[in-house]
Amino acid sequence: MADKKELETKKRTLPAACDIYEENGKVVCRMEMPGVLKEDLDIRVDGNRLVINGKKKAENTKGDYRIREIRDGDYYHEFTLDDTIDRSRIDAAIKNGIVTLTLNIKEAEKPRKINIVAK
Amino acid sequence: MAIVRWKNRDLYDPWADFKSLQDEINDLFDIDRFPSTTGLFDRSVSPAIDVIEGEHEFTVKCELPGMEQKDIDVSIASNILTIKGQKKNEVEEKKGKYYKKESWAGNFQRTLSLPSSVAADKISAELKDGILTIALPKKEEAKPKQIEVNIK
Repeated sequence: MADKKELETKKRTLPAACDIYEENGKVVCRMEMPGVLKEDLDIRVDGNRLVINGKKKAENTKGDYRIREIRDGDYYHEFTLDDTIDRSRIDAAIKNGIVTLTLNIKEAEKPRKINIVAK
Repeated sequence: MAIVRWKNRDLYDPWADFKSLQDEINDLFDIDRFPSTTGLFDRSVSPAIDVIEGEHEFTVKCELPGMEQKDIDVSIASNILTIKGQKKNEVEEKKGKYYKKESWAGNFQRTLSLPSSVAADKISAELKDGILTIALPKKEEAKPKQIEVNIK
């Protein structure tokens, strides 16, 4: 019962189109969040979870919608980080409605060469 | 007077779930969802738009994340508004290993037939935070007018 009520009152969120790729030993996460300003973007690392919440500015347009394709709601994404990601080195940038998160991989996890010492 | 049983709205109604399921299935067959606003050359992948009619103007909003002013071309010809552009792939495919790819890239075009009440020479467009906003003011004669009636 209580669960059902919570579901109904929860604000609708939608996932942003997201690209995740590896580049130069970093994991880059690129999300399309048109209409989200820098101040309204909230990125948190909570243990193993990376939570991205982008709030859209409230509509202030007066009038009737003739076509409505842009979905209403805030962008919300939740990812699970594994142990290879360095949590203290996560960079975020926003430009033209695109959020770019750069997740550095821990130095210890990177492949490294082991020198052989000949005796 | 007929006696109607009082229904407690807080009680869980098992049929409510079936109702929402039926609505969802009906939605799938909803022919109106086919975009009637797409033109002949519009692709199936195209940015979402909103058209809002206000009292004095129409506002067209278009989601164009990651696009620069030079990539977008907005034109009007005999009351047909065309938003054209190219969404570039920011990262080359070869460079990185993709885990997930949901964004799209390529050319797109959206055409909208405007009502004749739009003043085509007063259109302005603005690109901000990945949203293109086009303001289309209505012609003076098309605006609602208050006519005073003098009672003699």
